Amino acid sequence: MGLWDSLLNWLRSLFFKQEMELSLVGLQNAGKTSLVNSIATGGYNEDMIPTVGFNMKKVTKGNVTIKLWDLGGQRRFRTMWERYCRGVSAIVYVVDAADRDSVPISRSELHDLLTKPSLSGIPLLVLGNKIDKSEALSKQALVDQLGLESITDREVCCYMISCKDSVNIDIVIDWLIKHSKTAK
Amino acid sequence: MAQPLVKKDDDRDDEAEYSPFLGIEKGAVLQEARVFNDPQLDPRRCSQVITKLLYLLNQGESFTKIEATEVFFAVTKLFQSRDIGLRRMVYLMIKELSPSADEVIIVTSSLMKDMNSKTDMYRANAIRVLCRITDGTLLTQIERYLKQAIVDKNPVVASAALVSGIHLLQTNPEVVKRWSNEVQEAVQSRAALVQFHALALLHQIRQNDRLAVSKLVTSLTRGNVRSPLAQCLLIRYTSQVIRESATSAQTGDRPFYDFLEGCLRHKAEMVIFEAARAITELSGVTSRELTPAITVLQLFLSSSKPVLRFAAVRTLNKVAMTHPMAVTNCNIDMESLISDQNRSIATLAITTLLKTGNESSVDRLMKQITNFMSDIADEFKIVVVEAIRSLCLKFPLKYRALMNFLSNILREEGGFDYKKAIVDSIVILIRDIPEAKESGLLHLCEFIEDCEFTYLSTQILHFLGDEGPKTSDPSKYIRYIYNRVHLENATVRAAAVSTLSKFGAMVDSLKPRIFVLLRRCLFDSDDEVRDRATLYINTLGGDGEVVETDKDVKTFLFGSLDIPLANLETSLKNYDPSEEPFDINSVPREIKSQPLAEKKAPGKKPTGLGAAPTGPPSTVDAYERLLSSIPEFSGFGKLFKSSAPVELTEAETEYAVNVVKHIFDGHVVFQYNCTNTIPEQLLENVNVVVDASEAEEFSEVARKPLSSLPYDSPGQTFVAFEKPDGVPAIGKFSNVLRFTVKEVDPTTGEAEDDGVEDEYQLEDLEVVAADYMMKVGVSNFRNAWESMGPDFERVDEYGLGPRDSLAEAVNAVISLLGMQPCEGTEVVPNNSRSHTCLLSGVYIGNVRVLVRLQFGIDGPKDVAMKLAVRSEDEAVSDAIHEIVASG
Repeated sequence: MGLWDSLLNWLRSLFFKQEMELSLVGLQNAGKTSLVNSIATGGYNEDMIPTVGFNMKKVTKGNVTIKLWDLGGQRRFRTMWERYCRGVSAIVYVVDAADRDSVPISRSELHDLLTKPSLSGIPLLVLGNKIDKSEALSKQALVDQLGLESITDREVCCYMISCKDSVNIDIVIDWLIKHSKTAK
Repeated sequence: MAQPLVKKDDDRDDEAEYSPFLGIEKGAVLQEARVFNDPQLDPRRCSQVITKLLYLLNQGESFTKIEATEVFFAVTKLFQSRDIGLRRMVYLMIKELSPSADEVIIVTSSLMKDMNSKTDMYRANAIRVLCRITDGTLLTQIERYLKQAIVDKNPVVASAALVSGIHLLQTNPEVVKRWSNEVQEAVQSRAALVQFHALALLHQIRQNDRLAVSKLVTSLTRGNVRSPLAQCLLIRYTSQVIRESATSAQTGDRPFYDFLEGCLRHKAEMVIFEAARAITELSGVTSRELTPAITVLQLFLSSSKPVLRFAAVRTLNKVAMTHPMAVTNCNIDMESLISDQNRSIATLAITTLLKTGNESSVDRLMKQITNFMSDIADEFKIVVVEAIRSLCLKFPLKYRALMNFLSNILREEGGFDYKKAIVDSIVILIRDIPEAKESGLLHLCEFIEDCEFTYLSTQILHFLGDEGPKTSDPSKYIRYIYNRVHLENATVRAAAVSTLSKFGAMVDSLKPRIFVLLRRCLFDSDDEVRDRATLYINTLGGDGEVVETDKDVKTFLFGSLDIPLANLETSLKNYDPSEEPFDINSVPREIKSQPLAEKKAPGKKPTGLGAAPTGPPSTVDAYERLLSSIPEFSGFGKLFKSSAPVELTEAETEYAVNVVKHIFDGHVVFQYNCTNTIPEQLLENVNVVVDASEAEEFSEVARKPLSSLPYDSPGQTFVAFEKPDGVPAIGKFSNVLRFTVKEVDPTTGEAEDDGVEDEYQLEDLEVVAADYMMKVGVSNFRNAWESMGPDFERVDEYGLGPRDSLAEAVNAVISLLGMQPCEGTEVVPNNSRSHTCLLSGVYIGNVRVLVRLQFGIDGPKDVAMKLAVRSEDEAVSDAIHEIVASG
């Protein structure tokens, strides 16, 4: 029986297999690589080394294969974000909601990125990370400070998450899967 | 765009049609590279595109910055594929693009992930790429992984890390040096390649520490090097150690010789050959040491593998230059190689035979050479020409056949180097064999009638000017020379004018006719040619009469400049046109200390046309003029001797200093030639402070500091010492260079006003007994010896203790005395048990000295010497004995 099931699943996946490509961007130490790990394995690790360049990860959720381009957030890599955002299904912008000082920089980098003509119309998902910390901003404050209301040329969504405590990771995955269908 | 490239390919042979790379064109391939961005990757297709890109890059096609960056980022997208073959192509591509594309650093994280992957192929290649793109700061981050990789179980990974280390050593030596322990562990690896790479890296890390290299060699030569390649490296390092220690170890057996000889019995041919070659290249190798190496090379000569035959015959060819006798055993084997299908082997075999053969076999060999001369490449032809030259010098009687051969090949097609080698050979033969002069000059004349190389034409014309007038019938050369004035380019025409005037100046009977020719040159289209003709007509007295040319005029026109041309050139460049005329006396006379490269290649080759005729007398003259122009030293009397420059600094240091010792009867003057090699500095008040506390008989009397020493233009400072009259006082002097240093702005070349006092430690300098002896040879030693008479003869015997060889002992005594060996007696035949050496010289106070040395060597290499001295002064004869007794 089990054999039958898996065979059916496999056949089904052949027909209904979905692919999507995502770019994860955001300032350094926002939690991009941690988010990748959360989505892929659900695990969390305190000790992370900064990403020098990019990491590429493929994750399969249900019948959707997600290709994740996890890009380094240090200043010297920011000019290269655009190259890896071209043609993706969605841009995921991660913000450290607990680091209030960096939010203005985060805002300007985000708006700079969105002005690139090659990226017009690509849906944007903004994630306020680290809500496990007490000093984290509220969702409304984050939306205001990032000026998300002013973005009108694309679909924009914002969630507050915590990679450490795995809060709201599931709704992020749901959002992503939903967009894989609309992407094509 | 595409058309011309494809067309070019069509023009080539049919072969190209089968090439899978036919018609690959950059624009199209860059278009194809878009597949890298497809959401559904096709690894096979991507690999193909990368192959094409790599092909283009390796064909020398250059990508613009934008193109390279575009391709690079597209290629990075391929990291999503798990296809091993494609990943490998990605690595290659990144490596190729890393110099031209910006931002290659973006792949660092991905490579670091691969570097720790489970797939060995990923690990090895990621390490190689990462090391290529990394910079100093990132390197410290990945250092830990690299250290691990060096001792990785997988040999491919370990090798990759080691080779990367060799590359990184160039840019980040201090990091790589920290890996010594890991590298040392890798040297013990069982994998051949790892051992090879590890040894190479370990040696590179230690290469500047002579002692450490010696230790490394000592420990490894005891065995446990399995890889043949590593063993070859070890042999090379060993011979390096031998070379460096040979000077210090005077006695006993040569270190490590047993190891080299043991390697001759190794399994791998590669190792055997390497060892044999190392032995043949040992400095001062004895025939006993040489024999086993020659024996294995002889076996290689009859090998079925061409590469072994080539290697062996090439090595034997070199050996034949220094030890012709040792090679004679192989002559039969080499004779059979003359008909080898491989022309390179045949050439080397025949030239080796030429070197070792005897007079009777010359004709036969020459016939064989002529047969295949047209089949071989230029560089081998040069080898043949050089062999012929040395043969001709060895058997002067055969010059006719050999000269004919040279002139025949001179007429054939050939490149510049080849023609130059032939011309050089003919020139040397003309110099050394008087009988060959006339025919040789005529051959050269014929050659310049149809010579496409301006350089050779001018050199030959110059040589003709020197030699032609001294022949029995100088007039027959004039036609050839004057033809040049009609037919050649301006450079050659100018040279021809100079040569013509030389004939005019030297041969009075030809003078009127020469002047007619020179006057025609006054209408030449080139001003240099006209200038020369005018100058010569006016200075040689062109009023048509047969007058003897003044000697002064001759030296003015044709004598050599006694200042180095390089210095003259810089002085002329610095000269600003002004009212004040250029003063040739302002040109510094000192030759810059030679760059390291030149020193490393000793002038073994017989120099032909290019050799500057700077014999010792001219430099002594120059020194004497220089010193007498300095008022402080003008009262010292006649200069007795000036030593060769002694380097007081290592090569490539900030300031290069060498010293020349000028010996007077009652004084010694040290001339310090300083060169400032730092463009950002100007040195002022340059002075050498000399501490003579270890030279009691000397006291400082005068010094002449150098007021300013700009970058790269040599200057001199002098220190003079007084010493007891006529006494060969010896001593040791320590030197410190003291100066005021000023910063110079490299863009404007202006120096700052304020300077800083600084000093620079120089090496010690010694005045030894040989400094008081001038090398003056005598043509017939026996006559000189007899005429000197036994009045002041002093004879004594000395034990020299154990020595390496007789030759070494002879050389030691010659350099101790600093005298001129006569009649070639400084060369000791191999294996001889006794030797007589004749020396001659002039001692301070202008006393002629003749020395007869008789050496004998007994079983345990103890050398005894009988020293007989004759001179015009009893005290001097005693002094010579004292030098030997105290030396």
